Amino acid sequence: MKKTMILAALVLATGSLFAQKKTTTSATVAFDASTSLDALPKAENKTVIAAIDTKTGTIQFEAAVKNFAFANPTIQEHFNGGNWLNSEKFPTFTFSGKFDDLSKVNFTKDGSYTVPVSGTLTVKDVTKPVTTTATVVVAKGAINATAGFGITLADYSITGAPITAGKVAAQPKITVSADFK
Amino acid sequence: MKFLLKLSIGARLLITVLILLAAGAGIYWYVATDTFADTSNRRSAFTVSAQDFIAEFNTNDTAANKKYTDKIVTVSGRVSAVEPADTTVNIKFIDSTSGSYAIFAFQEQHLGEAKAVKPGDSISIKGSCSGGIYSMILGYHSISFKRCALTK
Repeated sequence: MKKTMILAALVLATGSLFAQKKTTTSATVAFDASTSLDALPKAENKTVIAAIDTKTGTIQFEAAVKNFAFANPTIQEHFNGGNWLNSEKFPTFTFSGKFDDLSKVNFTKDGSYTVPVSGTLTVKDVTKPVTTTATVVVAKGAINATAGFGITLADYSITGAPITAGKVAAQPKITVSADFK
Repeated sequence: MKFLLKLSIGARLLITVLILLAAGAGIYWYVATDTFADTSNRRSAFTVSAQDFIAEFNTNDTAANKKYTDKIVTVSGRVSAVEPADTTVNIKFIDSTSGSYAIFAFQEQHLGEAKAVKPGDSISIKGSCSGGIYSMILGYHSISFKRCALTK
């Protein structure tokens, strides 16, 4: 009985030490739709949920639309409004993807790795493919992943006069950063 | 007023257009330069304990979202975790039974006070509630806040 308990404890401890799925609830997503005409349409969300599976190379992000913090109250209101993200009806952005070549990352060895990522981004219930290159930094068991990509607002049925007038970028930049421990 | 009546229609129209342009520019300037007030100076719509607050979302997230989203809320409790977020930190209250949590991202001028907080501290945080989502990744509720400040 005692041996069984020790064995079970060892299995649990080993499992937690070498867990393949790592998560964080404090990933950061920056949204930048500023233009030369207007510097205001940009925001950050610092409470994004993210997960990485070091065995399969899958990556997931989940961001509450309402927690994007803008400097300007009017821009934030427009961002969440019915014509834009409609955050009442569609409260999250989600990304689901994977490293295209997992052999390019060694999660057990400290270093900086550049690896292509492909997946899908869902905004307002519209899912579109996304490809980008991520930088993965492994240091003392901790993993930091960063990536940037552009989206086309019209792909997600986001249109309007400010975009036509050039005050909001038609293809905003999205930057993602997550620390997994 | 008599002076205006003596002017030609063209001159009166020009003055009207100039006044409208000045008013429009003033409104645009006001909107473009407006910023959010310091949260520590704003009045809370609700003051709740972290445990009760998270329980409301676990019980009925639709009703809880309707009640708290976009409101200034003060939440008190024992800090479960302080997580690094980019160059700053987020503070979390976690319901140990369900795993659901409330997470607070701080306003620029209050980042220093957030960094001094440690797990186990009993504190009150005031912030703009962004509502709760059921995380498909985690399998429980995440209730997020932005522009937060510690209350004294």
